[in-house]
Amino acid sequence: MRRLRLLLAVVVARVAAFLARLAGHRGSSLPGMVALRLCPQAPAWLARDIRGHRVIVTGTNGKTTTSNMLRTILTEAGYRVVANREGANLITGVATCLLRAAGWRGRLDHDHAVLEADEAAFPSIAAAVRPSVVVVTNFFRDQLDRYGELDRTVQLIRDALLGLEDVTLVLNADDPLVAQLARLTGHPAVFYGLAPVKGHRTGQVREARYCPLCRAPLGYDGYVYGQLGHYRCACGFTRPRADFEGLPEHGGTGALTVCHPGGRLQLTPGTTGFYNTYNALAAFAAARVLDVPVEVIQKALAAYRPATGRMEEFRYGSKKVILNLVKNPAGFNESLAALLETRGTKDVFIAINDLVADGRDVSWLWDVDFEVLAAHDDCRRFVCAGRRGADMAVRLKYAGVPVDRIGVAPSLQIGIRATLAGDGEVAFFLATYTALWPVERLLRRELRGDRVRAHRMPSVS
Amino acid sequence: MLTVCHLYPDLLNLYGDRGNVLAFVARCRWRGIPVRVLEVGLGDPVDFGEVDFVFLGGGSDREQDIMARDLLARRDDLAAAVEEGLVVLAICGGYQLLGRYYRAADGTLIPGLGLLDFHTRAGKKRLIGNVAVEVDLDGWRVTLCGFENHAGRTYLGDLAPLGRVLAGHGNNGEDGTEGARYKNVFCSYLHGPLLPKNPALTDHLIRLALRRRGLPEELEPLDDTLEREAVRVMLRRLKVRTG
Repeated sequence: MRRLRLLLAVVVARVAAFLARLAGHRGSSLPGMVALRLCPQAPAWLARDIRGHRVIVTGTNGKTTTSNMLRTILTEAGYRVVANREGANLITGVATCLLRAAGWRGRLDHDHAVLEADEAAFPSIAAAVRPSVVVVTNFFRDQLDRYGELDRTVQLIRDALLGLEDVTLVLNADDPLVAQLARLTGHPAVFYGLAPVKGHRTGQVREARYCPLCRAPLGYDGYVYGQLGHYRCACGFTRPRADFEGLPEHGGTGALTVCHPGGRLQLTPGTTGFYNTYNALAAFAAARVLDVPVEVIQKALAAYRPATGRMEEFRYGSKKVILNLVKNPAGFNESLAALLETRGTKDVFIAINDLVADGRDVSWLWDVDFEVLAAHDDCRRFVCAGRRGADMAVRLKYAGVPVDRIGVAPSLQIGIRATLAGDGEVAFFLATYTALWPVERLLRRELRGDRVRAHRMPSVS
Repeated sequence: MLTVCHLYPDLLNLYGDRGNVLAFVARCRWRGIPVRVLEVGLGDPVDFGEVDFVFLGGGSDREQDIMARDLLARRDDLAAAVEEGLVVLAICGGYQLLGRYYRAADGTLIPGLGLLDFHTRAGKKRLIGNVAVEVDLDGWRVTLCGFENHAGRTYLGDLAPLGRVLAGHGNNGEDGTEGARYKNVFCSYLHGPLLPKNPALTDHLIRLALRRRGLPEELEPLDDTLEREAVRVMLRRLKVRTG
């Protein structure tokens, strides 16, 4: 009976996937949604077929990149890995990827699973998959109208972790909100973090300046970013010693030295930015928990290339074109830092949507430090677009960007064309989640004819 | 010189509410009105008599609790300044705190500052979404836009609302009121943030602050094309017609 239901779910998912593709969708969630209706236990039954580890990666920023890096490492190590891709990170997306991988026989023939889980969906995904390893990257403010406040998100994940057995946590030591999970759940934990970097800038967005355990203000011996850093509290809660500690090289090349329990080694991931340093460390630590040799990790990360819209780079004539996803204040600030580090005059396109996946409330734009752009003469023009392009324009105006450099485009296409037609040496495209795919599609259409060399660059997020 | 007091900027930094301070300051500076900002944290001394505009935002429950205790110690100074015309903008959690009490879901009564005659009760479902509100500013009818996200339902006592809800929930989703007004105190549930997108309200607050100091309150008009466009897009989506 159970096999029958599962096989039925497989068939239905396949048909749904076929129809979705026929209708021009990517079909990364719909098949699972339909199949779950018929057989809610499908993901749980399928997950039991996995021979080795079931890894879930969750947190606000860096889920996609960390899981992609880990999948690359495990594949390099010769394992057969099942993974959800492209941010299909709700239970429907997980069900879709497991059913797709199961084939017509309804069985998985895989060594490991690497699943990215949206924070709000983590409880349902964890309950179904029963992970043996859980990676938590960081907790920042993200789409509050969907998750309620940050405290609730952390609680949700803590409670779900309490319901698990035989699980190893891989935690960001530098984020007090993440690091506390070891103590709150009692599960064995492996920590990763950055060695303190003197003089690194500090952002405005600091979520947990107060001790999550006793509420007293936290002291910091060094900030990395936002609330991330080397914190300590009078109550005894301090940043745990990192089992995997990264020391980034000067000059923002992305290269770093990693101190790990077996020694130290140089890592040169094909990505830059602080987030990616964290993502690489998280993937490194998780891979070690899975006993992958360090040399394999080193090799896989050096060859790793970012996914769509994660600082993806194109050419348009002599112009460099960069596309990046923005989804919350912390990530947007990192994108602005990357923009300022890019040499040459720029035309900047920003598409802001306010659908559920973007966050319906666009007030988070006011927690981004656009003020850094005011004095930056290299940015010749800002083209704002998307459902809330006008709100973006208002934000830039109050950040001190001269009004004659700000425009609101009536459509994505008009905005993209105007940006590419600008006289800047670089065209920088930033888009929120639901705007990313349409912008990428329209952008590729404009670039077609002009030979597209999809030479990819650093990822942020 | 106008003095803006931003209360607990580190603590109450949810939903981009600091944009309200940015907008007030920018619109003064663009007109050559000198203005300075005092960022006041927990326990920092502040003389409300010397201040022209106070902004109080909202935070998560944890932070709300910390700030309430700190503000309670300053209650009498604040109340005296409010009585003699201090201009205040309080948003969401900051708004709730100025009332008599907040009744939590489990029945616990959390006392407020009691500066304004209203109370708030926790509701089951959060009231979330875009809002349009019609307000009267010195005889001018203005439509404000913003985004609300609150579990509390606020019920006004002997007190005027900020305005009338044209779309969205407002104070409680029942009586069509949004926010509250008392002397020069303006309370609202609207994030967005409220002031940048609604320059008519910002200028009104600046005028009230100048009036209280006996300074000329005539404001040079500014180009608000972008702000008007942002509001127009939302009103059209909410199917709200303005006269």
